[in-house]
Amino acid sequence: MQAAQVRRFVISDHPLPWLLPLVAILLVFTVYPLFYNIWLSFHEYAPRRRALEYVGTSNWAQLWEDARFWQSLTITFAYFAVALAIELVLGMAIALLLDSDGFGFGFLRGLLTMTLVIPPAIAGMMYLLMEDPQFGVISYFLQWAGLLDPAHPILATASTALAGVLLPEIWQWTPFMVLIFLAGLRALPREPYEAAMIDGASQWQIFRRITLPMMSKVIAIAVLIRGIDLFRVFDYVFVMTSGGPGTSTYTLSLYAWQQTFSFVKWGYGATLSLVTLVIILVVASLFIKVAKVRW
Amino acid sequence: MNASIASRTLRTLAAWVVVGLFFFPIYYWTSVAFKYGNDIFSRPPNLFHFTPTFDNFQKVFGISLGAGGVTVTPGGGNFFMAPRLWDSIVVATLSTLVAIVIATLASYALSRMQFRGRHHFVNWVLSTRMMPPVAVAVPMFFIYKGFGLLDTFTGMVLIHALMNLPLAVLLMKSFFDDIPAEIDESAIVDGASRFLIFRRIVLPMAKGGIAATAVLCFIFSWTEFLFALTLTTTGLKTVPVVSSTFVTSIGTAWGNMAALGAASIVPAFIFILLVQKHLVRGLTMGSLKQ
Repeated sequence: MQAAQVRRFVISDHPLPWLLPLVAILLVFTVYPLFYNIWLSFHEYAPRRRALEYVGTSNWAQLWEDARFWQSLTITFAYFAVALAIELVLGMAIALLLDSDGFGFGFLRGLLTMTLVIPPAIAGMMYLLMEDPQFGVISYFLQWAGLLDPAHPILATASTALAGVLLPEIWQWTPFMVLIFLAGLRALPREPYEAAMIDGASQWQIFRRITLPMMSKVIAIAVLIRGIDLFRVFDYVFVMTSGGPGTSTYTLSLYAWQQTFSFVKWGYGATLSLVTLVIILVVASLFIKVAKVRW
Repeated sequence: MNASIASRTLRTLAAWVVVGLFFFPIYYWTSVAFKYGNDIFSRPPNLFHFTPTFDNFQKVFGISLGAGGVTVTPGGGNFFMAPRLWDSIVVATLSTLVAIVIATLASYALSRMQFRGRHHFVNWVLSTRMMPPVAVAVPMFFIYKGFGLLDTFTGMVLIHALMNLPLAVLLMKSFFDDIPAEIDESAIVDGASRFLIFRRIVLPMAKGGIAATAVLCFIFSWTEFLFALTLTTTGLKTVPVVSSTFVTSIGTAWGNMAALGAASIVPAFIFILLVQKHLVRGLTMGSLKQ
């Protein structure tokens, strides 16, 4: 093409030149890895030949029989459901509490954003220290209150380890919900509230019949964005428990990562990460359809 | 009005207590950064009465605070982390730059031009946000290995730029949508080209939005863990990844780790305060415009 032609193309109204860099990088970094993953899931690393070998559908067949896969799926789902429920309820309660123009409330709202900028891996380390059975501050207070048996450290006991990992998760991301809900609450019209007051509605009725329905779009978006991140959780479990004790905190992402990089099961690791991707894509797309979220 | 004053006081009190609970871990972690070992490992936990020290910061940053002011000690030691902070800053800054350039171009087209499949295109960009990092990191590890991009700034910058693109595109689109299209149209009538309008009119008007997008991209790169863990080994390491360095055979160097952690939060927090106005829009990728 001549320089003049290129120039005319670039300044014309065609969207392609504008979108080209984006399309190129998305193709190279998402579509190509996707197909590479699919290809990889039909192969497996053969240590003896030090090369990848075609294994047909054996990785996919293995998935059905792999108890650890089903366990990590259950753990991921439990993590997702518990964290999302607590963050939603707590986030809404704190947002309602902080929705005030009183003195100091702006400062408090600003302070709450601090948790969002901490690298999750560092937040995990913070809680690792605070949950230490000997000198951790959280363990100390729980033991002092008689809620925790000193013989069973939070993160070293199979029944409590997941709760221990959920602590930094909930601490760090409840403020995310609070901020989004606060913005939603502040944008609500006044009139329905005035009408309800005149009719003598109770606080709970007002919340249930007016606030919640009007906040539905905001809540849907918060659930979507947080839900996607919750289902691919990796950082907290990796730094705090590495999946332990035993296999009690293995999430799907961690299990896939470990199969690839610790066990050199490249094909099976790719299969697991594909399954994670498909679950998120299907559930999120359904949610977008049902909740009518639009960008 | 007595009841109203009482309930207002109660509410203020409750608000301070709740936010205080959320702030406590940050206070505790920062206090560990200023503690000697015996104050960190005390039982009951020593929350307020400890002898403050800069030892941890000195070791992590390779500086010493003596009578003669601040002197730079030659780097070294296992916990000398100044180069790691530098790696984080370089990766976050460059990846933000790449993401912003690509995203502003694309989102201008998505905001202004009508074309078939635009809605699907936006959904496709959104769907890339749903990819679990592990599903990208595993194949990228092999691809990077083939191209010699493992452990390089180029590789890290590209992957972080990619990670931030869906956010940057959707967020910038929402900011461009706020600027009335009539401005573009009248400029076109005056004979200006699309690119000229973009550069001279729309970009300056969207300055605040671009800054907010850039800050969020920077923070997400600054806090990213899985890609940095998988795609680097020794050449460069970002701050979140080096936390494991502090776990040694003779115990964890909590004081030094806390010093690095506390220092890494400060710039990010200042940044996020600067864009407070656009924070919610940013966190929801442009779908809520408050």
